Amino acid sequence: MKDMLKITLSLVAIFVVAGLIMGLTYRYTYPVRFQAEKKEKDEALKEMAPDATDPIKVAGNWSADNKPYEYYEATAGGKPVAYIASTAGKGYSSFIKMLVSFSPDLRIRDVKILGHEETPGLGDQVEDKSFLDQFKGKSLDQIKLVKVETKENIQAVSGATYSSRGVTKGVKDAAQLLIDKYGAGIKSAMREVTK
Amino acid sequence: MSENINYWTLFKNGIFGENPVFRLALSLCPAVAVTSGVKNGFLMGVAVLFVMTMTNVTVSLLRNFISPKVRIPSYVFITATWVTVIDQVMAAYQRAVYKEMGLYIMLIVAFAIILSRAEMFASKNKLLPSFIDGVGMGMGFLLALVLLGVFREFLGKGSLWGFHILPGKPLLIMIMPTGGFFAMGLMMGWLNWIDRKFFGGTGGGGGGHH
Repeated sequence: MKDMLKITLSLVAIFVVAGLIMGLTYRYTYPVRFQAEKKEKDEALKEMAPDATDPIKVAGNWSADNKPYEYYEATAGGKPVAYIASTAGKGYSSFIKMLVSFSPDLRIRDVKILGHEETPGLGDQVEDKSFLDQFKGKSLDQIKLVKVETKENIQAVSGATYSSRGVTKGVKDAAQLLIDKYGAGIKSAMREVTK
Repeated sequence: MSENINYWTLFKNGIFGENPVFRLALSLCPAVAVTSGVKNGFLMGVAVLFVMTMTNVTVSLLRNFISPKVRIPSYVFITATWVTVIDQVMAAYQRAVYKEMGLYIMLIVAFAIILSRAEMFASKNKLLPSFIDGVGMGMGFLLALVLLGVFREFLGKGSLWGFHILPGKPLLIMIMPTGGFFAMGLMMGWLNWIDRKFFGGTGGGGGGHH
């Protein structure tokens, strides 16, 4: 009985002290971490639309596959220069999180991968510029993954087919969303011009 | 162990005599998983070195307080505490490194080598020897991971630390998990051969704990 009490006490003491250490660490590192993460997000958004002079605003929320995302409007002097959407696509072993920016005529300007947990050495090749640059200037109907060399569509990275598919799916979802949201406005604007 | 411990021998023991990966054959799972590139192997090695040292020191300090009947949960909890602290501090102050390593840090809690050193060494030895043992074993693990990383990345991707050296990919299989096992076996064999040939060792002897 006495032994049992001793064992319990020793365990409880260790757990309490360890818990305190972890709690205190959290207490003092969390604000710094939160600030850093916020700053990183702002910087990533800014990078997606370097020509925006006004602060980039959240324009709304959207979701795909039950995951919540946001989309943003980047303006310069009140005129839209880019629409940005956060999105993700399921790769081989994780969701690949991305930011995709679109020009006002709804062609892709840039794709930036924020984070993923794909296989190092294989899946992470989708972060390479040579893969992501393929998206630039493409419109929604051109975003299709193929396995041969192409100028019209997107060529998958060999050895990283699933990851390439994830990125393409995420970009496509975002493109579809932005066309749904802003497409009508642009069509009417175009009509105005042709009149 | 006697009171007069030769610290240099103790330190070297972790790197050569009882190298965690090549000699004790412990923590092979992470050693295969993260060594598809030199950089990942190195970062993982550094994290392990730190957790290893801190855990050894803590266990050694508390060795008369921890009840022998519940020592394993106590060791694991001590390891988990240090891992959490490192994870949070890094996430706040070392964002660039954290982005590379964040995936791996939490895994260290379950590393066999850390539990094994707490049980085999730190719980029976004083503070300083335990510290040296932790540093030695951590360095041994780090070196093993870097060695495997160099071998696999060079053959698998033709690059080192992300810099391309060879054109193309000579042996893509080396960066797959399969290649990890090949690399591990070959490396272990070579080191045993070198040990026998040049240092008169007996070679091999995995799990050779005292």
